[in-house]
Amino acid sequence: MYRYDAYDQAFVDERVAQYRDQTARYVRGELSEAEFLQLRLRNGLYIQRLAPMLRVAVPYGTLSSTQLRMLAHIARHYDRGYGHLSTRQNVQFNWPDLEEVPDILAELATVQMHAIQTSGSCIRNVTTDEFAGVAADEVVDARPYCELIRQWSTAHPEFDWLPRKFKIAVNGAAHDRAAIAVHDIGLQVKRGAGGEVLVDVYVGGGLGRTPVIAELIRTDLPEAHLLTYLEAILRVYNRYGRRDNKYKARIKILVRAMGADSFRAKVDAEWEHGRDGAQTLTREEITRVAGHFQPPAYEPLTDQPDVLGDARLADVDFDRFVRRNVRAHRMPGYACVVLSTKQTGIAPGDVTDTQMEQVADWADRFGHGEVRISHEQNFVLPDVRQRDLPALFAEARSAGLGATNLGLLSNIICCPGGDYCSLANAKSIPVAEAIQRRFEDVDYQFDLGDLDINISGCMNACGHHHVGNIGILGVDKKGEEFYQVSLGGHSGHSGNEAALGEIVGPSFARAEVTEAISRILDTYVDNRVEDESFLHCFRRIGIAPFKERVYANAD
Amino acid sequence: MPTLIKDGAIAADSWATSAETEDGQRPLLPPDTWRATEGGAALLLDGDAEPHDDFAHAPLIAIHFPEFKDGRGLSLATLLRTRHGFTGDLRAIGDVQPDLVHYLMRCGFTSFVLPDGRDTAVALRSVNVHRHYYQGSVTDPTPLFRSVARG
Ligand code: SF4
Repeated sequence: MYRYDAYDQAFVDERVAQYRDQTARYVRGELSEAEFLQLRLRNGLYIQRLAPMLRVAVPYGTLSSTQLRMLAHIARHYDRGYGHLSTRQNVQFNWPDLEEVPDILAELATVQMHAIQTSGSCIRNVTTDEFAGVAADEVVDARPYCELIRQWSTAHPEFDWLPRKFKIAVNGAAHDRAAIAVHDIGLQVKRGAGGEVLVDVYVGGGLGRTPVIAELIRTDLPEAHLLTYLEAILRVYNRYGRRDNKYKARIKILVRAMGADSFRAKVDAEWEHGRDGAQTLTREEITRVAGHFQPPAYEPLTDQPDVLGDARLADVDFDRFVRRNVRAHRMPGYACVVLSTKQTGIAPGDVTDTQMEQVADWADRFGHGEVRISHEQNFVLPDVRQRDLPALFAEARSAGLGATNLGLLSNIICCPGGDYCSLANAKSIPVAEAIQRRFEDVDYQFDLGDLDINISGCMNACGHHHVGNIGILGVDKKGEEFYQVSLGGHSGHSGNEAALGEIVGPSFARAEVTEAISRILDTYVDNRVEDESFLHCFRRIGIAPFKERVYANAD
Repeated sequence: MPTLIKDGAIAADSWATSAETEDGQRPLLPPDTWRATEGGAALLLDGDAEPHDDFAHAPLIAIHFPEFKDGRGLSLATLLRTRHGFTGDLRAIGDVQPDLVHYLMRCGFTSFVLPDGRDTAVALRSVNVHRHYYQGSVTDPTPLFRSVARG
């Protein structure tokens, strides 16, 4: 993974000193609320419903075990003993003290971490596939490009004060696990005929109150031009994006207002000026950054079907773990493992200080000291020897990280919602819990198969409800919490094209949600053909049968 | 009194500090009026103005920031400097925030007017917050990866 050099380290250290000064001035009353708000946001600090919330950047979801131990330390020392894995692969702390935040940032800087640009109207943490570098279906490792973009976008002189937040995602695998179609900019890195790296550029996707699938505006961009091309897009957006209405300020609205063709023409005209400029990537720089992502020293191993087969026969839970939570690795004898945070009764994505330390230890003992955070709010251990899987599973199970539910109903993506977030229309965590309780039966979940349930507490869609096979959105009806349910959304992973869900009909009171979900699932089970997944079944039969059953009079 | 800071130090000159011209000040003129005026007048632009080559003749261009968090003036300044040949004094006026001065300077501003109540010392310090930046800018077009040997 990327290691800071003296320049990276100096930058974050200077930034901590600057923010310490800003906090002190705010506390002394020398900075207005409006000024400090913008400064703290760009250093990761929100003021939430109950307390400040600090969002720590985990660049493209990759952490070392040392960094994860530091997060555990922060959870224990500055917070209430836990942290939250966000849907953007970051880590959030819900109870820091505003005056202690500079100390937290200083501690983070000692392990090459920061919270720069994790909120505010600026270029946010770049995200990618949680299996980048190890996925069996990878074409190009996306991480060096993410890191190049991270550096380029950090305190950019021109693009740190945009109309709205700006999210870039990069995918380099055959299957898109980075959901590039629903980002402000989505980049697909791929190989050309001669093995050179090319980039397809998608612009203007996004969730939120106006969900849009991104437009492809450039194909086959040579990698050297990546930053100058991004600069052209950002300049067009910074100059022409709307600033009068925050709900119309995302780049998707600009692309739509201009039309994809005129937007592309504008960007291309802008790019003509910047193309081949100083920001053009050099071969040396690409090689230098890629050098940080060289594979670790893998042992020459072979796949272990027998060892695993015996263990799977002996323990049905381990068998389920292998079926659901273990993914193919590009090296023989190794596996990628997802450790699910989705245990009934625990807010999705919440992990304790102790769990963080346990995961860090497993990363050292069973892998190469590296951990990932997935947008599904789980931990990923990217390099586990297959023969260690039974031992890892046993420890994970006793640590409360052994749920065998990856891709299943109970692996719910869920934003913090009304329990924490001041923007929420409704709570989301209790809804996730009610669903997990009602459909607790693991056999039933396995029988249902692949099913993404995503819950957001408001239109901002942090829980990605539009792209859940079943999406649940908290809405406010005359001061009461209601939930709108949509069906058929998909974020684009597993080879299915990204799609936005269709709203099934009038929204439900909280107590009615699980019954509605139950009827939706029954409709699927009754209509599915052989191994057809929920999504495929929905695509085949459409929304009508679901609607009919959900709203059929229960009396 | 608003404070003018130019080339890294508190300064004074006779240009107006806003669209309003007070006694003894020379006005900042919007493009139409500016074009209709004899040479030597200063130009006043809003962040959403389109830049033009003839602006290069102005001795001073002031870009107005309606809110400090409105970054359009940063792109406009960059374009005036890098594409339209403007070499005169480029001045930020309006809601200039002292902690953000390093963004202004890197986009080619050479002076700015701090409104009343904003901390001059912070503004002067802000210019030197970082010794190095990753990306190129108007003042230093060479990105870090081209200017130093990195680890
Ligand atoms: S979706 Fe809404 S409620 Fe949930 S975290 Fe985002 S802003 Fe808060």
